[in-house]
Amino acid sequence: MRRRATGLALAVVLALGCSRGFERAPARELRINLETEPPTLDWNLATDGVSIVAIEQLMRGLTRLGPDLRPEPDLAEHWDVSADGRTYTFQLRDGVVWSDGVPLRAQQFVDSWQRLLAPATAAEYAYFLFGVHNARAYNGGKLADFSQVGVRAPDDRTLVVELDAPLVYFPALVNFMVTFPLRRDLVERFGERWTEPGNLVTLGPFVLAEWRHDYRLVLRANERYWGGRPPLDRITAYMVQEGSTALVLFEQGLLDLVRIPPLEIRRYTERPEYLRQPLLRGYYYGFNVRKPPFDDVRVRRAFALAIDRSQFPALLRGGEQPESSWIPPGMPDANPELGLRFDPEQARALLREAGIDPAQLAPVKIVYNSDQTHKLVAEKVQAFWRDNLGVRVEVENREWKVYLKELSTDPPAVFRMGWGADFPDPDNFMNLFTSESENNHTGWGNREYDALVARAAREADPAERQRLYDRAQRILCEEDVPIVPLFVTAANFAVQPRVRDFRPSPMDLFFFEQVRAE
Amino acid sequence: MNARGWVGLVIVLALAGLALAGDRLAGYRFDAQDTAQALAAPSLAHWLGCDALGRDLFARLCEGGRVSLLVAVGATALALALGLGYGALAGWVGGRLDALLMRGVDVIYALPDVLVTVLLIEVLQAALTGLPDLWRRLAALAVALGFAGFVGVARLVRALVLQAREEVWVEAARASGASPGRILLRHVLPNIAAPLFVSAAFRIPAAILAESTLSFIGLGIQPPFSSWGTLANDGFEAMRSYPHLIFFPCVAILCALLGFHLLGEALRERLAPRFRA
Amino acid sequence: MIRYALGRVLAGIPVLWVVATVTFALLRFLPGGPFDKERVLPPEIRHNLERRYALEGTLAHQYVDYLERLARGDLGPSYKYVGRDVADILRDAVPVSLELGAAAFALAVVGGIGLGLAAGARRDTAVDRSIALGSLVGVSAPSFVVGAGLILCFGLGLGWLPAGLWEGPLYAVLPACTLAALPLAYAAQLTRAQVAGVMDQDYVRTARALGVPEARVRRRHVLRNALLAVMTYFGPLLAILLTGSFVVERIFAVPGMGRYFVTAVTNRDYPLVLGVTLVYAVLVVLANLAVDLLYAWLDPRIRVGGAER
Repeated sequence: MRRRATGLALAVVLALGCSRGFERAPARELRINLETEPPTLDWNLATDGVSIVAIEQLMRGLTRLGPDLRPEPDLAEHWDVSADGRTYTFQLRDGVVWSDGVPLRAQQFVDSWQRLLAPATAAEYAYFLFGVHNARAYNGGKLADFSQVGVRAPDDRTLVVELDAPLVYFPALVNFMVTFPLRRDLVERFGERWTEPGNLVTLGPFVLAEWRHDYRLVLRANERYWGGRPPLDRITAYMVQEGSTALVLFEQGLLDLVRIPPLEIRRYTERPEYLRQPLLRGYYYGFNVRKPPFDDVRVRRAFALAIDRSQFPALLRGGEQPESSWIPPGMPDANPELGLRFDPEQARALLREAGIDPAQLAPVKIVYNSDQTHKLVAEKVQAFWRDNLGVRVEVENREWKVYLKELSTDPPAVFRMGWGADFPDPDNFMNLFTSESENNHTGWGNREYDALVARAAREADPAERQRLYDRAQRILCEEDVPIVPLFVTAANFAVQPRVRDFRPSPMDLFFFEQVRAE
Repeated sequence: MNARGWVGLVIVLALAGLALAGDRLAGYRFDAQDTAQALAAPSLAHWLGCDALGRDLFARLCEGGRVSLLVAVGATALALALGLGYGALAGWVGGRLDALLMRGVDVIYALPDVLVTVLLIEVLQAALTGLPDLWRRLAALAVALGFAGFVGVARLVRALVLQAREEVWVEAARASGASPGRILLRHVLPNIAAPLFVSAAFRIPAAILAESTLSFIGLGIQPPFSSWGTLANDGFEAMRSYPHLIFFPCVAILCALLGFHLLGEALRERLAPRFRA
Repeated sequence: MIRYALGRVLAGIPVLWVVATVTFALLRFLPGGPFDKERVLPPEIRHNLERRYALEGTLAHQYVDYLERLARGDLGPSYKYVGRDVADILRDAVPVSLELGAAAFALAVVGGIGLGLAAGARRDTAVDRSIALGSLVGVSAPSFVVGAGLILCFGLGLGWLPAGLWEGPLYAVLPACTLAALPLAYAAQLTRAQVAGVMDQDYVRTARALGVPEARVRRRHVLRNALLAVMTYFGPLLAILLTGSFVVERIFAVPGMGRYFVTAVTNRDYPLVLGVTLVYAVLVVLANLAVDLLYAWLDPRIRVGGAER
């Protein structure tokens, strides 16, 4: 009996070992990790980086961003701007059809924008189009008739948009998913389930074949795509939350593309599967300028000068690039020369000048939202201020929701924040800190800064625009210092050798239409 | 107490000793950062290596041990206190109160304990505003875990009290007119102390287990402090490249649990052989 | 027996009601609404959101509204997953957890009882001692320790089994083993103790003395009593499998409902929390009922409503 049992056990073990029970490398199929369930595929409602990955394969917009991040024609073949810069006329491409055969019409853009702005939709990104004439009033319920809003479709091929004030970056703005066209008939027919597979109709390089929620999403090539059928047959997007599990799956050959967890990066940098992409995503520490001692600008400058950013890359290992200015490199009008550099001597001198005795100062509190990276950064900055200034620092963390509430009601003296570009224009980064920006948690306002940013948004001359942003950045990062930019993050990928032509963009977007997998 | 019990006791005492004073042995503070030594492998200078910020892992483990043991002991004490009160009340008074209290137990069993614990931690964290940060978190964890664990104790106590009621000397005390409180205190309690003690010996490892699991998913103790669970989580992320980061915390947890289980088994054999905690 | 079963089912309903109320109340005390994001919303939008998800009105109003919809079987829309109902989310997730739980349950029970029997029958031999030690380690290892070990060993080291996902039967092996580890060890301990105890009892000795074959002695008396002892553990076992799954599902990326125990709370997804709690409560009530019935069937001395022997 015992002998038979061992024999049986051996047989099972051998069978397991020899079995190819799981497929390692299916041809023309790409398996990626989305890391978490996309909250929605409804492009009027989506707000986050995960939903975008799926949506960008399924749908296209008026423009797309070229390799230099300038807008290029996509669904719009070309566009004209009026002399005063307030009216845009887009001519749509011929021959574009949705996956059910219905042709693209300009009215579908109007329908989409109406839905985005309709109060009943409760879209969080509605404010994205507030530059359009009467959009804000319509969204606020003060205007009931959408035909008064500055977007209309005089014919099937033409879309006309009227802005309240000229916005230089408007063509880049309409690359963003919330402005994609919409099939109102389908949304009305299927209601909230219109994004489910079987109901969802799209016009991008891929179509939604299957969506097993919280587990995986499957996209198939769209034979009718106007740009030509993509080389891939199928994309399977899994949702594996644990970074290290995803990496193990990658090494087992079960995933083709993953983000590398920070601490594993070093092991990968020499390997052929490694791919790094700097992003247009800034990481900064903000001061609440209403809370002492940070109500004194000299103190803020001192604390900024006491941070040695050069240590972050070694600490985080994620390809973070130290940045003392705010507009990230790669963004038009960036200027990395600006900002305060590490200078502990001057920092201490400034503190003395402000009449602060570090030993007597109450402990300064850094608050951040729970995350490995944020924790490391906070503890590092705590050490900087302790060692270079002699100040006592406490570190506290909060859950994301609680953190956000605190930021909007009673911001901590020192807090951390990140910002990723919604569209590749410096205005997206700079108008964050104007006096009326709802995302400015520092309590700081500067009229000269506000004026500079407002003018730059409308300035057409590139040289003048650069000059305006330089001056604004000087105020933000060198003079008043309500924030201390720390670094710009990068994306670190592991890609299987069988995957070719994968090119991530600095906007942290992926386009798989040109990718091949053998 | 048998040999294994002694082994368990030794392990427990050793861990407690390390937790209290271990980092002084090593000579590093648990929060001293040294970027140059980040992620160093175990060596003579750093016996267990360093973490991503260059902090000595041995010192971190000792500090983590303090936290884990504190939470576990606090949770156990609370569970015992609550369970004792609840179970004694139900068992002694009996009748409808007992039925109601046992219904309450049914309801609590029907709630997923993980979810309730997470909820309680968040509620308490928000409510206990007066305390400094670390103590607030520790208290929230201890109370939440204690609350999650008291039901088992309550059931045990109730059964014991029910049994004790039938004992001769208790009947005699009642007949002589002593107050219920006095009877409970002087006659019942001493007799149920032994099984309770054994129960405590098993509750502590259960609390350590629960706390480290919660910390592993990020809901337990918050940085800059750590417990064994958070150290294990840090290690899990870098499992392939820096295995020492996950290995040692796991060993610590295993040893602690093993030690307490051995001790508990031996105590049970000695003090209360008929009861299984 | 049927009346007993029905009675127990009905008795479970007030329990469920209390569960719904208690969770509802607890959740309202948590700070942070469900829609905070990196970008602060203009007030018009925030107002629109609150109206859509029925967060307006007094607490009492929301509560009554909730109970009404529950009675209709409508668990409401999820706050975090736009456009999806809680019922849909759970419909996808619960079967996976049940499959994983069933596999782990079978492993734990069969493995545990098997090992316990083997150990108890061979007292004080090497087999007995190693099983005793193994089960001691097993109850001392948190699931993430077991999971990490299994991934390193079988996933990466030997490469036999996938370290995550849920694409076929092979994918269930590592997560089920991880989930079953602690219960298996505990069941083995219980069984071993029980077997050792029973082997010495009078009626077993009598049976042996009377010349009843050893195998029959084992089967009829020892096995049945061991099973009875382990069955007292089934209720808590199910609870452990269901709630312990949240770590296992997280580590192995299994699409079950375990993760919602945690994420729904941290996301303040109130309807999902309530939905998950109710499903769990229903499962616990059913499981306890099943255990009681099984117990009654196995042990005639406890059969409810039957005459005493």
